[in-house]
Amino acid sequence: MESWRRRLTRFLFPTESDYWLVVLRIGLGLQVLLYALSLRSDWNYLFAGTDGGMNGRALSEALLSSQSPLVPRLGRLVTIGSAVGLSERGVLFLSWCSLLCAAVGLLAGFLSRSSAIIAWFIHLCVAKSGGLVAYGIDNFMTIGLFYLMWSPLPDRWSLDWRRGGKAQAKDSRLSGFFRRVLQIHLCIIYFTSGIAKCLGSDWWNGSNLWRALTRPPFDVLPPEVLVHGEFFFPLAGALICLLEAGYPFLVWSRRTRLPALLAICLMHVMIGLAMGMYLFALVMIVLNLAAFGPEFSFRLERIVFAWLKKSPASTG
Amino acid sequence: MRERVLTPKRRLYLAWFLLHSLLIITISSREIFWLIAHRLTILPTSFTSTAQKLESIASTTLAQGLASSNPVRRALLAYLHITGIERGYGYFAPNVPESYKLLFELHYPDGTVEYELPEVRSAAAELRLASLLDEIGRTRYDALREYLVKTLAGPVWREHPEAKKIRAIVGLRNFPDIHEFHRGARETYEFLYAYDFSLARDSPQTKSSLK
Repeated sequence: MESWRRRLTRFLFPTESDYWLVVLRIGLGLQVLLYALSLRSDWNYLFAGTDGGMNGRALSEALLSSQSPLVPRLGRLVTIGSAVGLSERGVLFLSWCSLLCAAVGLLAGFLSRSSAIIAWFIHLCVAKSGGLVAYGIDNFMTIGLFYLMWSPLPDRWSLDWRRGGKAQAKDSRLSGFFRRVLQIHLCIIYFTSGIAKCLGSDWWNGSNLWRALTRPPFDVLPPEVLVHGEFFFPLAGALICLLEAGYPFLVWSRRTRLPALLAICLMHVMIGLAMGMYLFALVMIVLNLAAFGPEFSFRLERIVFAWLKKSPASTG
Repeated sequence: MRERVLTPKRRLYLAWFLLHSLLIITISSREIFWLIAHRLTILPTSFTSTAQKLESIASTTLAQGLASSNPVRRALLAYLHITGIERGYGYFAPNVPESYKLLFELHYPDGTVEYELPEVRSAAAELRLASLLDEIGRTRYDALREYLVKTLAGPVWREHPEAKKIRAIVGLRNFPDIHEFHRGARETYEFLYAYDFSLARDSPQTKSSLK
């Protein structure tokens, strides 16, 4: 029993450096920044009520209220804002600015935890109120920001750390615990997504890939170009199914971790480029790199530093 | 000194981890069971009844059997939403869904007719608009579809206040498969629904009717 507990503790609470947290914080900071900037011109259209928007918020929030009144939403912020004399547009603008400031805070590691909480809260309000216009990216951003705000911030690359945060005793096992949770969550995500795809006939013959790439608004590449990849689609479709369903096994084994990680990141890069889903690709790459990447990235960094030291330019 | 295996704090984290993982696994697998139960997969129909039972068990685990006002159900749903785990991860699975198009026909008092598509300024917002168009095309509830179409017709009307009537036409976009495309087939458009929105002369309210 004691040995079982010890093994469980070692698995769930491994001693971990906070490099993964550096990747998650900076990656999500960049993600939130690009998210806010990319939606700036349509912010009011998507999330305002009758005041210049499409007023989809009313339905999303009504549906949300029927499920649970506890979920944060923009409507509450608008109500609070109107109590202090702010218009709906004013509240929406402030929300956008808060998101932008939180993103900058995360990127710099300034007031890291407060920035993470603000980013999570404002993004959640926006995602829930804009439920009609939400897609997968919103769930992954919520997941990432939720883990980030509970993780033991600040990390060693943050401004907070330089400002004296390093004086605080850091629980490296807690850092390991949250990384483990993220790792297991990603494994479940890919495994179930892969199994669901494996159960569809059209992933095996490449038809789904063709349809996904020619379906607006994902039709970034003209079908006249794509049609040349006729023989590539069945292979790529089968590879996607196998890679996703096999992700937990491939990424957990130390021997196959790097190829699996590179393959999954490459898949997301291709999705980003070929389907125009840049931000979706970015958040998935950030989550993957934070969960399974720091060993490799920091090993690479050491190799580069060692090489620079040895190079004639530095010795001469 | 030997380190304590499970401190009270770690026990708390462990309990949270178990609950959190159980919820993620339940939600993800429920989606797969739903697909099998609705015969949307390549599995033979003999799996259907088992999948229905498993889906029902998963739904019960997620407190879906409780009344919608039940505090346990509400608290659980709130937790799922704030952690971002309220839905499964079967993107484009088991197959890529249908694609829909919404077209606005603007009728002016002088008899001229103009055509408009719902427009956003950024590519990021365009992806979001596609989610809404999918919902409009997919929903089986007429009232909901009409409401959703109206949300997109509103801004078009604000842009063109002189129009006397807007007809919203929802259609299904049919794309040829790669072999058909080789043979010269191109996208076709299949009419599904049309809604007429007109402003009453002395009232700012929008009326709508299903044609």
